[in-house]
Amino acid sequence: MPRTWVERLGDWLPEKARRDLFVPSLADLTYERLVRERTSCSALARVRVRLWHASAALMLLAGCLRLHAVDRVRARISRPARAADPPRKELIVMFARDVRHALRMFRREPAFTAAAVVTLMLGIGVNTALFAVVEAVLLRPLPFGDAERLVLVKHRDVATGLSKQDIAIGDFIDLAARQQSFDALGGYGGFASTLTGAGEAVRIEGVALTPEAFALLGVQPAMGRFFTADDVAEGAPPVVVVSNELWRTQLGSDPQILTRSIQLGTTRRMVVGVAPPGFRFPLANPTNVIVPARVPPAAPANRKASWVYGVGRLKPGVGIEQAEAEFAALSQQFEQEFPQQNHGSLYYTESLRDGLVGEAKRPLLMLLAAVGFVLLIACVNVGNLLLARSLARQHELATRLALGAGRGRLVAQILTEALVLALAGGVAGVFVAWRLGPALAAMVPQAERIPGLDSVGLNVWVLAFSLGVSLVAALGFGAVASIGLVRESARHALAGQRRTTMTTGARRAASSLVAAEIALATVLLIGAGLTLRSFANLISVDPGFTADGVLTVQVLLPPGRYPEQAARSAAYQRLFEAIDALPEVETAGAAAVTPLTGNNWTAALVRPEQPLAAGERPPEVGWQSASAGYFRALGIPLREGRLFNAGDTIDGPPVVIVSDAIAQRFFPGQSPVGKRIVLGDDTAEIVGRVGDIRRASLSDAPRGDLYFPFERTNGPGTTMFLRTAGDPLAALPSIRTTIRRIEPDATLFETRTMADIAAASAAVSRLAMRLLAGFALIALVLAAVGIYGVMAYSVRRRGRELGTRLALGASRADIVGLVMRQAATVAIAGLVVGVVTGLSVARALSSMLYGVPPWDPLALGTACLVLTATALGASYLPARQAARVDPVSTLAAE
Amino acid sequence: MPKRALPSLTHLQFLVLGVLRADEQPGRVLREALASHGVRRSGPAFYQLMARLERANLVEGWYEQVTVGDQAVTERRYRITAEGARRWARAKSFYDEVSALSSAVRWSDA
Repeated sequence: MPRTWVERLGDWLPEKARRDLFVPSLADLTYERLVRERTSCSALARVRVRLWHASAALMLLAGCLRLHAVDRVRARISRPARAADPPRKELIVMFARDVRHALRMFRREPAFTAAAVVTLMLGIGVNTALFAVVEAVLLRPLPFGDAERLVLVKHRDVATGLSKQDIAIGDFIDLAARQQSFDALGGYGGFASTLTGAGEAVRIEGVALTPEAFALLGVQPAMGRFFTADDVAEGAPPVVVVSNELWRTQLGSDPQILTRSIQLGTTRRMVVGVAPPGFRFPLANPTNVIVPARVPPAAPANRKASWVYGVGRLKPGVGIEQAEAEFAALSQQFEQEFPQQNHGSLYYTESLRDGLVGEAKRPLLMLLAAVGFVLLIACVNVGNLLLARSLARQHELATRLALGAGRGRLVAQILTEALVLALAGGVAGVFVAWRLGPALAAMVPQAERIPGLDSVGLNVWVLAFSLGVSLVAALGFGAVASIGLVRESARHALAGQRRTTMTTGARRAASSLVAAEIALATVLLIGAGLTLRSFANLISVDPGFTADGVLTVQVLLPPGRYPEQAARSAAYQRLFEAIDALPEVETAGAAAVTPLTGNNWTAALVRPEQPLAAGERPPEVGWQSASAGYFRALGIPLREGRLFNAGDTIDGPPVVIVSDAIAQRFFPGQSPVGKRIVLGDDTAEIVGRVGDIRRASLSDAPRGDLYFPFERTNGPGTTMFLRTAGDPLAALPSIRTTIRRIEPDATLFETRTMADIAAASAAVSRLAMRLLAGFALIALVLAAVGIYGVMAYSVRRRGRELGTRLALGASRADIVGLVMRQAATVAIAGLVVGVVTGLSVARALSSMLYGVPPWDPLALGTACLVLTATALGASYLPARQAARVDPVSTLAAE
Repeated sequence: MPKRALPSLTHLQFLVLGVLRADEQPGRVLREALASHGVRRSGPAFYQLMARLERANLVEGWYEQVTVGDQAVTERRYRITAEGARRWARAKSFYDEVSALSSAVRWSDA
């Protein structure tokens, strides 16, 4: 079995400590890790166990060393002192002396010190800042009891590959009854209403939770109780749990709140509890109130009669894979029992954290890797600076060696200098991270929907990370600077002379470092180039509608005032007509689904002339409820037939509109207008065909959409789409006034322009592009500085050689060419390594790219060109300097 | 009353040997037994204690492979030696005698 890094580290311990203390302790630690890994239910939990094990192993090593040292001290105390014994505190004294020496040296060389500290500050700063974001989003415990065991239940349509969280109520009831992997499975759903009677009417957002769901979240109420089975019994009085924040603000921190009731919409609900401060579920949504969700005791015949979200708590010892396998088996059972409704339906689980963090996880980890590259480049740069400086000190070091200093002593001194530099850079980096971390979090699109992002900042974990990074960096560039140096110094000590040209080993070490730097910068530039191309593709995509000049406003009619469809339609009609009459508004419409917001709602499409075979599940297409004004406002073209009109009401014959993709798929080579589709027990006539749009997101290929008339399907709340004559937001005040005039009690919320929504759809891509470009730029600047530094130093050290060449007849151009060739060789070596590494990194990026292959020649070519130009540019100045060497004075000086 | 020497075992050693009297145990289990008596020792500190017991020939230690799932771990196990059992018994009888003495005093006081 291969030995682990901990075991290898243990080899460095004194034999007695290793044998007696380390080996058996490590065995126990490994045993505990294996047990913990077996009971971990998610990949993240396993990563945590690994991290725990790594830190515990390091503590163990430290513990063994400490005990061994104490043992030796005791043994020494108990025997008479010998003259040969070194002083007990020798190590500490030596270290303190080295630190003082390092500080003195750095004070004497402020330019070198500033360059090294600023470089490290950049490297450590961006790493710490990004880690602060990662810590807040991916590592911080969720505010639920034993949250790692909480999972969300999700549904995937095997045919289309589309996933959604909505679970058909029939399937949910049967899943909850048959599953064995969970302590309990609870249901929940969104809840929105208007709170009246407590000051001005306010829109309230919250969640409807089944009593099981509330219990399994593992939180305790601040006051009162959560729900019981009695609260969801038939005829039970309506109850509510209010959030701590609502209780403190709208309800005036009333200590008697548990004896009060509040008016939510048309229902008066008794307050039975107050949630703990900060309680949110799901974490992405504001949770002002929690109402009980009722789930029928048995599955209805129409399993898709309603929809619910599912959350469960895994039983102890059950992993998420086990639950997933069980759900796959249950999905198969459902398919066999209810083929017409469940064919191709797969239920699966996702850990609560993955469900909440969703899309953010991958870009975050990718960016963390990118800043890791920046840190490596910074380390290589500082290593180069230290190496160059140490070579200048070769004579001093050689003398010290000749006077009897051990090589270990010299290496210790160089490492101490590296440590002092790294810690200075680390402290400066923490200041950078303090400002940069929250700024990065603010750049994340829809940050309020990602838990943790609002509290990105410095904490003990982030500081520990920064310290760890600084120490690793110190070790890294300290080791780089020590390579070959001591050996060279020893040789000079024996030769008893001072060399004025760089030795082959030192030159090779410096060149390798520059090549490594160029390779790392190439990888980052390739990544930045690919995301830039991907973003350019995404924003130039035609969504199938015109987003510019369109304002979206969500409107909620007063609760209970329009219970009938016809009354609601009439109310909306009045609103549309009044808004249409405004000079700022060209056309007004409404729809249930706002495009580009990730909505994947579907409807079954069956043609009466092609009935389904027994057990066959109907194909699904996108579902939308829209008014004629919606198509006009968004500029969705009408290809043939007509749009919906005033006659398409609940009393008229059922009609639908289809988009191009449906026409091509279901009515190839013929016009769909006039054809009929099955709609429940009835059929509906297709009255029009419109263009396809990108429905869920810009990167989502257009799929067919089936439009139902808004006049037949509207609810108490809707989204209005208003095409305005000028700036959409400028028209908002008069729109608001008009709506208030027609319907004073209507609630308006979430006002956004369609252009903003389209921009948000590309926001993740834009953020990845911006950050990668930023990091690549830092890498490029650092690489340029590194190349310049090494070439300038090399030219200075080769003064004698270059002077001799000039004296022997070489022209200035020859010297420039010589230096540039050397730089070009190093750059090409770095580019080759960088492109090869970049290609494999790009493959990992491919799922985030849109319309651009990971081997995109333009991105690769540009990265190579930019780096070659940078390398040659950075070496041109030293080359010119070299050409100006005066052979006479140089040789005379030697 | 005859004069008795104080036990040569510390409380911790007495506790470890007491657990081992019943059966041989892996170090991991011994640490848990100590923890259940409120004695929390880091891994290295615990094994330092065990190494000293071994050097004093009071316990005997060896490595044995166990499996967790499909992975093998080589853990250290211990059993009490005859000398360890004798020293533990001597300490035990000392504590018993002291405890009998104190209860006799209380009885006569009553």
